[in-house]
Amino acid sequence: MTVSQPIYRIENLVHRYNSDPVLAVDRLDIEPASIMGLVGPNGSGKSTLLKLMAFIFRPTQGRILFDGKSALPFDSSVRFLVTLLTQDPYLMKRTVFKNIAYGLKVRGNRENWTRPVHDALAMVGLDPDIFAHRQWDQLSGGEAQRVALAARLVLKPRVLLLDEPTASVDAASSELIRAASLRARSEWGTTLVIASHDREWLYDVCDEVIHLFKGTPTGAGRSNMVFGPWVPEENGLYSKLIGDGIRFTVSAPPNADATAFIDPAVIRILNSGEASTAENITFVDGTVIRIASEKQSGNLFADVRAGSLTLVVRVDESHLAAMTLHRGWPVTLAYRPDSIRWL
Amino acid sequence: MDFILAGFIEAIRLLFSGDDQTWSAVGATLKASSGSMAASLTIGVPLGFALGYFQFPAKRQLRLLVDTALALPTVFIGLVVYAFISNRGPLGEMGLLFTLTGIAIGQTILALPVVIALSATAVESMDRHLRALLISLGASRRQLLFSSLWEVRYGVLAAGLTAYGRVMTEVGISMMVGGNIKWHTRTITTAIALETGKGMFSTGIALGLVLIAIAFGVNVCLSFLRKK
Repeated sequence: MTVSQPIYRIENLVHRYNSDPVLAVDRLDIEPASIMGLVGPNGSGKSTLLKLMAFIFRPTQGRILFDGKSALPFDSSVRFLVTLLTQDPYLMKRTVFKNIAYGLKVRGNRENWTRPVHDALAMVGLDPDIFAHRQWDQLSGGEAQRVALAARLVLKPRVLLLDEPTASVDAASSELIRAASLRARSEWGTTLVIASHDREWLYDVCDEVIHLFKGTPTGAGRSNMVFGPWVPEENGLYSKLIGDGIRFTVSAPPNADATAFIDPAVIRILNSGEASTAENITFVDGTVIRIASEKQSGNLFADVRAGSLTLVVRVDESHLAAMTLHRGWPVTLAYRPDSIRWL
Repeated sequence: MDFILAGFIEAIRLLFSGDDQTWSAVGATLKASSGSMAASLTIGVPLGFALGYFQFPAKRQLRLLVDTALALPTVFIGLVVYAFISNRGPLGEMGLLFTLTGIAIGQTILALPVVIALSATAVESMDRHLRALLISLGASRRQLLFSSLWEVRYGVLAAGLTAYGRVMTEVGISMMVGGNIKWHTRTITTAIALETGKGMFSTGIALGLVLIAIAFGVNVCLSFLRKK
């Protein structure tokens, strides 16, 4: 039996800007033809990790193995195989056609570029007859983002790295980007790594989602992060105001601005008003806004809006038997403040 | 005021009557300025690109030096070039004094800081995402450099035009190094100085208008190229 080699293996990676550490990843493997998501707040190191994986610059320490071999920027072993779509897509000062054909040109591809460029434009939902000869500054933000994606798709890359691909586009463009990305994997076996704030989009698309926090992977799968500041209460607990009179209560944080990490499995979902007087249990009221099953595990999760927070709760079958659960349904969430981890 | 109106009429007459002296000055101006622009762009654009693109020790000090050189007075450049190419100077044997080549050398020194500084500024203002884009699309180091330069082509074009404006309109270098020799090194600007000294204002204005017409023609050509 052969074991497939990861397309990426990241080992003891540390990256600093000036002397400030921004990323520290001890070990991360990414399987070929998989779709991996990266979530995390601003400044968590997602974009830096993607740029390092795109071999745009070298890491301060550690190494990135591609197909089992250590690789660096401009190495011929990676130059034509990996491509990155950055958060703010930049188009060169030339026509859409020339922007998309640029990658083919640097590969020394002398064939007629019309067909692949038109196919790539069609793949992102832009009519080649209308858009191919437009100048770079004659596009809307969503169109520019899709042209930038087409410039990557035309290369049929082995690895496509996407940094916030849906951040500045409307729902229709977001769906087109999603469909084009998935098609890249199904048609060419492309490995995708996608960083996004849009957790639901990621959970829908990705095989696995990694959480980054302050430059370090903190876990995988669905989870909740609640940011400080926390204020002390009379009972020794701390809380944060998350809405009109609604508080989210936690155990004593290591500092007032610490980030709480809550496993969806430790939150129990109850019918609204079903709060008990059990000790060490805290309750918060909310409304179900979404129910989804996880792609790989098949586990069922509910997104519950409580004040300004959206908490992901794992729903086990015993819950389902005892209650009705659908979108818009009021519920009460119960958890032990001491089950919260601090980051 | 009559002499100003007379100047306009004289300008049209000089340009369209094929006046030999005027066209000799136009020819001398174009030859010297073309030579100096070719040299300053060939040397200045790569240097400006390097100054704006790369990080290296003493970059700030070098930038300060180039920016200071933007204010070099033309008479001072003329004086230094004169000292170097006069018979007693280190390059005296080359026989460059009172030649158009001598003027072109002086004008190159005048244009070079403009080309370097403005090209460097254009490169510095290049979008920070361009590098990531080009590398992620598979560009080699060489392709990265040339594609980056192509992206700032309008900034470099503006640098060239600004330098051309300085070169075309300078008097000090042409007068000191060229010597304002009729039919030989008399340029439009030195001719204007001479005619004004003789009290021939209308001829001076006419030559000034010729100069502006040439500058306009060059700009029209470049703007056509830019559209393409």
